[in-house]
Amino acid sequence: MARNQTDNDTIPLHSTSQSDIDEIENLINSHSSTVLPPHTSLASIPVSSTPPPPSSSIPSNLPQPTNPKPTPVPPVPSTFPQLPPRSSESGGSIPVSGFGSPPNTLTEPIWDTVKRDLSRIVSNLKLVVFPNPNREDPGKALRDWDLWGPFFFIVFLGLILSWSASVKKSEVFAVAFALLAAGAVILTLNVLLLSGHIIFFQSLSLLGYCLFPLNMGALICMLKDNVIVKMVVVTVALAWSSWAAYPFMSTAVDPRRKALALYPVLLMYVSVGFLIMAIN
Amino acid sequence: MDLNPPAGENYGHPEICFFHVVFKAAALAFYMLSALFFDSFVIIFVVTVLLSALDFWVVKNVSGRILVGLRWWNEINEEGESVWKFECLDQESLARMNKKDSWLFWWTLYLTAVVWIFFGIFSLIRFQADYILVVGVCLILSIANIVGFTKCRKDAKKQLQAFATQNLTSRLSSTIQSAFTVV
Repeated sequence: MARNQTDNDTIPLHSTSQSDIDEIENLINSHSSTVLPPHTSLASIPVSSTPPPPSSSIPSNLPQPTNPKPTPVPPVPSTFPQLPPRSSESGGSIPVSGFGSPPNTLTEPIWDTVKRDLSRIVSNLKLVVFPNPNREDPGKALRDWDLWGPFFFIVFLGLILSWSASVKKSEVFAVAFALLAAGAVILTLNVLLLSGHIIFFQSLSLLGYCLFPLNMGALICMLKDNVIVKMVVVTVALAWSSWAAYPFMSTAVDPRRKALALYPVLLMYVSVGFLIMAIN
Repeated sequence: MDLNPPAGENYGHPEICFFHVVFKAAALAFYMLSALFFDSFVIIFVVTVLLSALDFWVVKNVSGRILVGLRWWNEINEEGESVWKFECLDQESLARMNKKDSWLFWWTLYLTAVVWIFFGIFSLIRFQADYILVVGVCLILSIANIVGFTKCRKDAKKQLQAFATQNLTSRLSSTIQSAFTVV
């Protein structure tokens, strides 16, 4: 048996992995191609101390229901080599399936986790704020929500407002932060209470990301002190933010209640816009 | 849980332990001492909350995985429902985890939450709403991690029991079967 020193290496099979192996074998036999599960290690090849990282284009949080990616390893006969450490997983309402758990997030190198999270932030930003064909199906768009983006945008907006203010800088910052954070929570509760179908964190994440245009607007307003320019910039930023938030909010509720859900969002963005314009 | 680290071994992953502790300690220290050096609340807020958020990320993604072999996250499935997933290494690797590492992990996790609650009470008494905001945010982050990892650990224990009983019943049934075939 290939025994390895550290926890990061392959570990002898957990007995519940036997069903996983059967599933994998069935898949291989049925598809009869050179598809292999990721990171198979042949017993004769000495295993390196860090297994090769999963390709970062697959967000490993999402379950991979079908074939795993083919790896550049010569095709293996049906005698099965050791699998990387299986993670026994228990979910909430989803039945556990053999391929449901991403096998290597427990032992991946740290740099991979960082890269995965950073790419998630960037992709969320692109999905939410920029014009995108995926917007036709908004429910899918923010499926892997994250709160890092909203956190940075709220803090950044607070900082800009605080810098632009000539007096009471601390109060301005605290008020801006509390207003935006509480506002996002209340807006989400509003949709939920209207019997809308939205998930709490997904909506928080969305409302935070939609602050991005207002951030840009606030930055420009801070740099250029002309009133006309400020008004134009804030109006554009406002329109952009509202346009970004509209699809998600409107599809979450009953069509008859769309206005009820959207009006508070617009109200909040308009108030933030006024704050940006009026601060001196 | 005992107050002293288990004797007889060294830390398994000293750098990870260091990072696990340093962000927490830095956030607490900065919060406590910054009033002496900085006049501006904004800097205190931003730096403390940033350190707390970094600590949250490090504990959730790095030290949880490596020191205790547990991981939790939230996913949205195909039907649009939100599911909390808990994940742990299988039982053999869990048994092989360094005891000192996990002792440090759990103790510092609970201790920082207690210290933040302490600070929160201080700010409440002094009616400083700004500082209550900071403490509130940091507390939410610590408690989220505590809840996540405790649920993960309970899940791991449940699985261990389920596995053990499954093993036991299968062995029992096979011995009964063999007994009957002999007879």
